[in-house]
Amino acid sequence: MIQKLLDIDRRIIFVLVLVAVATPLLMGTVLPITPTKEVQAAYDEIEKRAAGDVVLVSFSYGASTVPEMQPMARAILRHAFRRDLKIVAICLWPEATGLAQEVLEDMAAEFELQYGVDYAFMGYKPGNFSVILNMGQDFHSAFPQDHWGTKADELELTRPLRSLKDFDLVFDLAAGDSIEFWWIPYGQEKFGFPFAAGCTAVMAPDLYPFLDSGQLNGLLGGLAGAAEYETLIDHSGTASKGMSAQSFAHLIIVAFVIIGNAAYFISRRTRPEQRS
Amino acid sequence: MARDTYVFLGFLLLFAVVNIGLVVSGLLSADWTGLGVITGAGMTLALYSFLYKDNPLFKFAEHVFVGVASAYIFGQYWYPTIYGELIAEWTELEAGETANWWLLAPTALGLLMLTRFSLRFAWLSRYSFAFFVGLGAGLTIPRYISSFILAQIEPTLRPLSLSWDGFNLLVILVGVIGVLVYFFFSVEHTGVAGRVSKVGIWFLMVSFGASFGYTVMARISLLIGRVTFLLEDWLHLM
Repeated sequence: MIQKLLDIDRRIIFVLVLVAVATPLLMGTVLPITPTKEVQAAYDEIEKRAAGDVVLVSFSYGASTVPEMQPMARAILRHAFRRDLKIVAICLWPEATGLAQEVLEDMAAEFELQYGVDYAFMGYKPGNFSVILNMGQDFHSAFPQDHWGTKADELELTRPLRSLKDFDLVFDLAAGDSIEFWWIPYGQEKFGFPFAAGCTAVMAPDLYPFLDSGQLNGLLGGLAGAAEYETLIDHSGTASKGMSAQSFAHLIIVAFVIIGNAAYFISRRTRPEQRS
Repeated sequence: MARDTYVFLGFLLLFAVVNIGLVVSGLLSADWTGLGVITGAGMTLALYSFLYKDNPLFKFAEHVFVGVASAYIFGQYWYPTIYGELIAEWTELEAGETANWWLLAPTALGLLMLTRFSLRFAWLSRYSFAFFVGLGAGLTIPRYISSFILAQIEPTLRPLSLSWDGFNLLVILVGVIGVLVYFFFSVEHTGVAGRVSKVGIWFLMVSFGASFGYTVMARISLLIGRVTFLLEDWLHLM
């Protein structure tokens, strides 16, 4: 019996995880979500900006992390546009352009925004951290034109922006190195702007020290972070829907971790007896 | 035929029947949007089929993904940057405008990188690499010392107090000292050093556990995203 548990076909576990994920989604199960202080801090950063303040949102993620990052982007932009903030969006990952454009266009339709006045999309620029250094020195040199080729000088929103110091807040949405290795050392530390971020759950533990040191003002980690933000802005989106499924899947995994360990220790005890 | 061949053919047949049913019932529109959803559902199922066993459908989806992603990324490099900011700078000059000659320097360095493809001229790429390594080191070293060492020492050494924040600071301080001692190999890990390094190991284990927990959460989130797409956008069950 114990050996059977230890030799369980991994495909059975996959099926159980799938059932644990699909059932709450199909049944519309909703569990309460309590925002953590890191997410609350990110929310407060947007909440304390005045109408008309300009926020730079950097998109650094690709298709492989859409379920985590896209709800986050929607929640943050929805909150910013509700507060009448102006958004300048850039991409530091080539894959991010289509995803950023989709969110911006949805928000523009929802809030009846005017391109070039309420928001601008500068597209992708290669160079990783050197783009950030370049933006700090001369924003128009880093992004001389927007995603569609209109010169930055011709857009009402981007015309007066000269450097990163002209932004009231910088928000990085990242699935890679950009928060820790690009924005903090070459942007926030050097030019001293308020900085908040959203990242995949995998990255979140590495970023907590930067919250303590004040280099990062707020942080959304993974789908849970996005769901907490949706709770704060009182708009239940895909992240909130997914959190029930997440909790049930975690229960299955915890159960298998306990069963696996119990079976392992019992088998260790019984093995010498079998030998004798 | 082997059992897996029947499973493979049965899956394809079932997928076709479901899609025909969805289109006929009007749940999926018979246009480009509907085709996009069907393609997305097919690719998702093909990629997850690897959980059963490696198979031709998985291989097909994997190669399509790599090809599409590469082409998309190339497009993002070509149009806004290589064409938009470099080639157009010379070919689409308006009256009275002068070309930016400074762009020739990074262009030349970039082109020298491509000499790696030639055995005869590969040595030329060393100039580009020398520039990038020198520039990278010069930019990185002072910034990393400032951001990752000096800025991190300050919150670690804040005064302790009789509060939860003070307790947190104490935990961080003990953890930092324990882990530093664990990685200090010039002293044998016996006696006091051994006990402190053992505390460091415990902190490392807790940190690995937290990272693993977050990783599980991330992977499940991705699964939730795809299952939501299949149930909502494709099957219309949500």
